[in-house]
Amino acid sequence: MMIQLTATPTSALIDEPVHIRATGLPPFQIVVLQATLKDEMGNLFHSHAYYKANEVGEVDLERAPSLGGDYVGVHPMGLFWSLKPENILTKLLKRDVMSSPFLVQIKLYDSNLPLIHIPTTAPKVSLTLERWYTAPGTKRIQVREGHIRGTLFLPPGEGRFPGVIDLFAGVGGLIESRASLLASHGFATLALAYCDYEDLPSQPEKTDLEYFEEAVNFLLRHPKVLGPGVGIVSISKGAEIGLSMAIHLKQVTATVLINGPNFVIRIPQVYRGQISQPLPFSPQLLSINALGLAEFQHNFEEARNEANENFLLPIEKAQGHFLFIVGEDDKNLNSKAYAKQATEQLRRNGKNNWTLLSYPGAGHLLEAPYSPLCCASKISSLHLFIHWGGEVTPHAIAQEHSWKEIKKFLRKHLLPVVTSQL
Amino acid sequence: MNALADEPVHIRVTGLRPLQMVTLMASLKDEKGNVFWSRAFYKANEVGELDLMQTPAFGGDYVGVHPMGLFWSLKPKKAFQRLLKKDVMNSPFWITLNLYDSVCFEDVITDQVMASQVVQRWFSGPGLQRVQIREGRVRGALFLPPGEGPFPGVIDLFGGRGGLVEFRASLLAARGFAVLALAYFAYEDLPSDLLEIDLEYFEEAANLLLAHPKVQTPGIGVISVSKGAEIGLAMACFLKQVVATIWINGTNAIFEFPLRYKDMVITPIPTFVERMQLDISGAMRLRHYKGDPWDELNQQSVLPIEKALGSILFIVGENDECMNSKEYAEQALHQLRSHGRNNGRMLLYPGAGHLIEPPYSPLCYASPNKNFSLPLLWGGDPAAHAAAQEHSWGEILKFFRQHLTQTRSKL
Repeated sequence: MMIQLTATPTSALIDEPVHIRATGLPPFQIVVLQATLKDEMGNLFHSHAYYKANEVGEVDLERAPSLGGDYVGVHPMGLFWSLKPENILTKLLKRDVMSSPFLVQIKLYDSNLPLIHIPTTAPKVSLTLERWYTAPGTKRIQVREGHIRGTLFLPPGEGRFPGVIDLFAGVGGLIESRASLLASHGFATLALAYCDYEDLPSQPEKTDLEYFEEAVNFLLRHPKVLGPGVGIVSISKGAEIGLSMAIHLKQVTATVLINGPNFVIRIPQVYRGQISQPLPFSPQLLSINALGLAEFQHNFEEARNEANENFLLPIEKAQGHFLFIVGEDDKNLNSKAYAKQATEQLRRNGKNNWTLLSYPGAGHLLEAPYSPLCCASKISSLHLFIHWGGEVTPHAIAQEHSWKEIKKFLRKHLLPVVTSQL
Repeated sequence: MNALADEPVHIRVTGLRPLQMVTLMASLKDEKGNVFWSRAFYKANEVGELDLMQTPAFGGDYVGVHPMGLFWSLKPKKAFQRLLKKDVMNSPFWITLNLYDSVCFEDVITDQVMASQVVQRWFSGPGLQRVQIREGRVRGALFLPPGEGPFPGVIDLFGGRGGLVEFRASLLAARGFAVLALAYFAYEDLPSDLLEIDLEYFEEAANLLLAHPKVQTPGIGVISVSKGAEIGLAMACFLKQVVATIWINGTNAIFEFPLRYKDMVITPIPTFVERMQLDISGAMRLRHYKGDPWDELNQQSVLPIEKALGSILFIVGENDECMNSKEYAEQALHQLRSHGRNNGRMLLYPGAGHLIEPPYSPLCYASPNKNFSLPLLWGGDPAAHAAAQEHSWGEILKFFRQHLTQTRSKL
């Protein structure tokens, strides 16, 4: 009997699961499955898992547990989210989200083949999958209006769509991958840059919320955007901004805050003459882990213990709803503590406009489902390697679960409620 | 300033500004040119002093009061390097301690060094003798303390990396033992690969040691780690010359290849390549790789520890990522108890990994091994591992003194 490898669907959005099966194997034979991806810069990512065929010579990843390799247990999408770069510091990032997918090759080998021989050995069987960042018909529009710089993604189809602003971390540039996916799920999403992009300052000295207000108004004015409110999906430093937008701008009705602070970080915020100072940072509280990676999650503890409430962003003034997403193993920011303090502040003020999702084992960089865990990066301005945290399997589970919750949350608060009356 | 590598160093800084924040950094270059470094951030007290025996580090490679933290938290600049002294007689490790006037957390230090001190860490003491051994089949190095002796004899066995590792043997000799660092493969004319364990080779080594005029009779000790501990336990079971055995993170059964002693052959329990796991760093975790010695199909491979005449000390790192040492030690002790023996004892160290070495040895996260294409993950949380090394070394010396010294009076 011929060995066959099937995967359904072979072409899909990167947040869609794939059902992988191998058939025609000798009963109970142990095989190794390898996934390989080459990103647009030529960086290679690999993952491996060992499976045992059942009595009829089949391996069904939806049922069979991986015995070893990059993950263990039943994880149908494990080969995707456990992809590891050949260089530990490389992050998987799609630059062109429109015209090309990531190609993932799945290959099957005998288990007794040493892993080091895999690159030079022909697999018994293989297939290639396409993983797209946009659904067909999604439109991408470069935005350069007024001060705003970014990219607007419009869902396919006619009509108007709820508007969302997508804010990434403070590393600068413009990351479009999440915005394009949100658009593929029916949200008109503006991936908004705020530093080190086109003519925006490379190292801003302050965060001016009027820039973000301009972006909100731009979005609401757009003929394809359904008002009256907009949503925000934001992470890390982006979530500091997202929180401040929710506080000051009443058009913000739904805000997702992923691993963000409840205070200002590094540079002051200004809004119409009002200045919010950043919380002092204590460099001596940096921890270096066993691999030599820098962990910053304690660097605000001294200031937080000594600070008065004025340093905390006045979250109780926000009128919209909040979804807090926390990776408990975040090694960059003490996200769990900050979200807890923010929600306690809401509770003390009699507000219940929030939901907190806290994920054990998840790290700082929570992204779309099946994204590989990036555990560390080198930030070009600093000579060190930053540990983001997260354990591979729990982080993957958190990404899958939180993405569903994010979409549900945005739909709930941005789509008009249709009520029928008897 | 100049001490044995297992001795603590008292580091103090004076003359700082009150409450000044400083960085203390340690660096060393090993014999292959690999750089290892560590740092911690300290705050001087009101009179501008800091004393590492009392002052806590705020951050860096460790946090809290750790007088020897700069030593055991040394990390390689190049990933997966292990710090291992090759020449234990003629040179020390030179560790440079640098003081900087601020919190230096980046990899590139642009600040001026405020003060600097070089500390020597020796693996042998004055008068210690090293004798290259090439007698019969035996290959290794014998370390003799100064003086006439006779001294209690110990055989030192390292693990699956092969070759000859001498630094623990030389340190033990500096503490008064005649120690034979014994190679068993990948050294001189020994086989380059380990394909079987010939216990007669180890018996020959034991007899050679006992025959030396400076070595006490009638019994010797064995200190062994990892694969070496599997062998060490076999020696304890079958060789009456062995009266005291230290087993560090080893197994209680024969794995991978057979053990042979005279007419007896013990076949190995199989290993399962599909059970290896890859760590986020790309290193391989072999903890689940070996078959189960509790399985009734594997009983012929389990070492008959009830036959051991001497005493056995099991030293276990609970966070060992290379093997399930805790389970192996527990089964061995269970086996002793079920035969009415009480000559075994376990020291279990939470947070410690596979490579439990003499005190202040830096924790090695993972390192290459010639039998595998990827580095092996050893496990261990740095501070807990360091504490385990410090504590277990004292226990090792106590154990050998208790069971090997002739002057012990019998009631």
